[in-house]
Amino acid sequence: MNELREKAKDLLQSGTVKVIIGYTGTSDPYRTKPFIARTAEDADKLVFNNYCVNNLAVYLTRKEYKQNGIVGIVAKGCDVKAIIQLIQENQINKDDIYIIGINCNAQVQELGKEFGSETIATKCLNCFVRTPRLQHTLIGTINELPKREDVHLEKLKKLESMTSEERWEFWEKEFERCVKCYACRQVCPLCFCDRCIADKSIPQWIESSAHKRGNFSWNIIRAFHLSGRCIGCNECERACPSDIPLSLLNRKMGMFARKEFDYAAGMSLDAPTLVGSYNTNDRQDFIK
Amino acid sequence: MDEKLINAENLSLLVSDLLNEKHLVICQDEKAVGWKSINDAGKLVINNAGVPSNISYKEFILPKTEPIFFFKNEKENFNLVEKDPADQKMIFIGAKPCDARSIEIMSKVFNWDYKDKFFNKRAENSIVIGVACSYQDEFCFCTSVGLSPVTEKGSDIFLIPLNEENYALRIVTDKGKEFIKSYEKYFSDGNTGASKAVLEKINIPAKKFDTLKVKEWITNNFENKLFDEAGSICIGCGQCAFACPVCHCFDIIDEECSYTCGRRMKNWDACQFGQFTLHSSGHNPRNNQSKRYRQRIAHKFKYYHDKFEEILCTGCGRCSRGCPVGIDIAKVAEEINLSANQA
Repeated sequence: MNELREKAKDLLQSGTVKVIIGYTGTSDPYRTKPFIARTAEDADKLVFNNYCVNNLAVYLTRKEYKQNGIVGIVAKGCDVKAIIQLIQENQINKDDIYIIGINCNAQVQELGKEFGSETIATKCLNCFVRTPRLQHTLIGTINELPKREDVHLEKLKKLESMTSEERWEFWEKEFERCVKCYACRQVCPLCFCDRCIADKSIPQWIESSAHKRGNFSWNIIRAFHLSGRCIGCNECERACPSDIPLSLLNRKMGMFARKEFDYAAGMSLDAPTLVGSYNTNDRQDFIK
Repeated sequence: MDEKLINAENLSLLVSDLLNEKHLVICQDEKAVGWKSINDAGKLVINNAGVPSNISYKEFILPKTEPIFFFKNEKENFNLVEKDPADQKMIFIGAKPCDARSIEIMSKVFNWDYKDKFFNKRAENSIVIGVACSYQDEFCFCTSVGLSPVTEKGSDIFLIPLNEENYALRIVTDKGKEFIKSYEKYFSDGNTGASKAVLEKINIPAKKFDTLKVKEWITNNFENKLFDEAGSICIGCGQCAFACPVCHCFDIIDEECSYTCGRRMKNWDACQFGQFTLHSSGHNPRNNQSKRYRQRIAHKFKYYHDKFEEILCTGCGRCSRGCPVGIDIAKVAEEINLSANQA
């Protein structure tokens, strides 16, 4: 923690960065929250631990930070994937940010619970970016992680074994609870559209009503928009007040991208984006 | 004080009766995500000791989406068919005081000048069976907004769990009295001593802030950097407003079946959305998240109180518990209180 604070203090005092987007503690030791450090004093409030679940890359596309000079960001490996994807998609400039990369020892699945083998986030179980793939400075050491079964993968396998009618029924039940609060979209670093298609009214592509048709079109379109772009931080699922297992959709689409196009989002700065590139050898036999 | 007793078996029989009479019986769901109308007495959940559901039961009174009329345009004729809310009794069972108060608070705005028939019909048809609450976490602050875990305010009937099998019931309103009378056979006469002892054991949390001081501070500090702290991290979703038992803003939109017919919908809306105050000219008076956050605080503690002498908050803590970026409304109010005291 001291290493992080010292580095942050240096960066702010020297004027290398204008602000640092990081985490700060709360009165609950099992929670942190996003925090914008602007002064050396602020830097002392920064923390990093197993409760830093937020993907702070979501703030990088906000105009108020973008316009203010170089922005520092405390980033785990998964957050850096989002940053890479944002750079690939020309949403931020590599030279406008300063990444304080963290060697991550996994995050808790649900804030407010003590981190351990029962509560380690499933997305962290087979993480291959515990050391971020792009950073200006690297902090912390890698330790061994607690083991846990991947309950999400089991759910996904169960879904895969269903008939399409059964799957439809499954999602019908899940989407029924959607209240259209758009927490999934707002918390997502890759949902950066200035004006989301869901907010367009002339013509209205997606009904804004939270009824069956409106909820289906919103959630399915969002999943499609994130195909080959979602980096799997699972923030949408965590933010959802209605407990909709959105990561199942995103993970499945990610598996498709990998299997059919050998593409994983946010892994390479130089690679063209999956949806933004075209190859005559692309397979199409899975499109039915 | 009128007090009755009911045991778990009779409560179950009562619920079966209500269901047979085609009333809606509404309680919290098992996963504490929201509230649901049950179709079997065995599914009744009374969550007096667990965390409040992510989303309140507001949606049964003010649905997340509903048509208010249908229209049809045929040549020269324009037809408009009004929609009325279903006339069905709704019995909310197990509402903690922070839920039970919600209908009373919202009814002020829905009867201020225009009398909202949708809200009023449903409110009339509601029977709120509250329950003494023995849950408490760092996000709860009911005592700061004039409620308490043991208050009967807002309930028609108030349940006090004596043990796993038995509940004492206090009749709070005439509506509650009538309800008890209609199902008299399931209740026996109670002994106030037992329920009193239970209530006395419930810890009443200390007040975290003074709402009047918060109100006064906002009046004098419309422009204050305190709002920027939350504004700088708020991502602008509607979790807080949609989980809230008393946030009541809605949007009106037309959904078209085709060019000639459609329906006008009333949908939940939230002041933290960037488009909430966006004018068609392109101008947005609340053009950043800090201003939007100020609106949320000011509406709850100042504007609503100015107009209706009522705090637009029940202290349930749902907005803070569920905030994706950890903004805690009670902490913000505490900070304002502190700032007011220093001034």
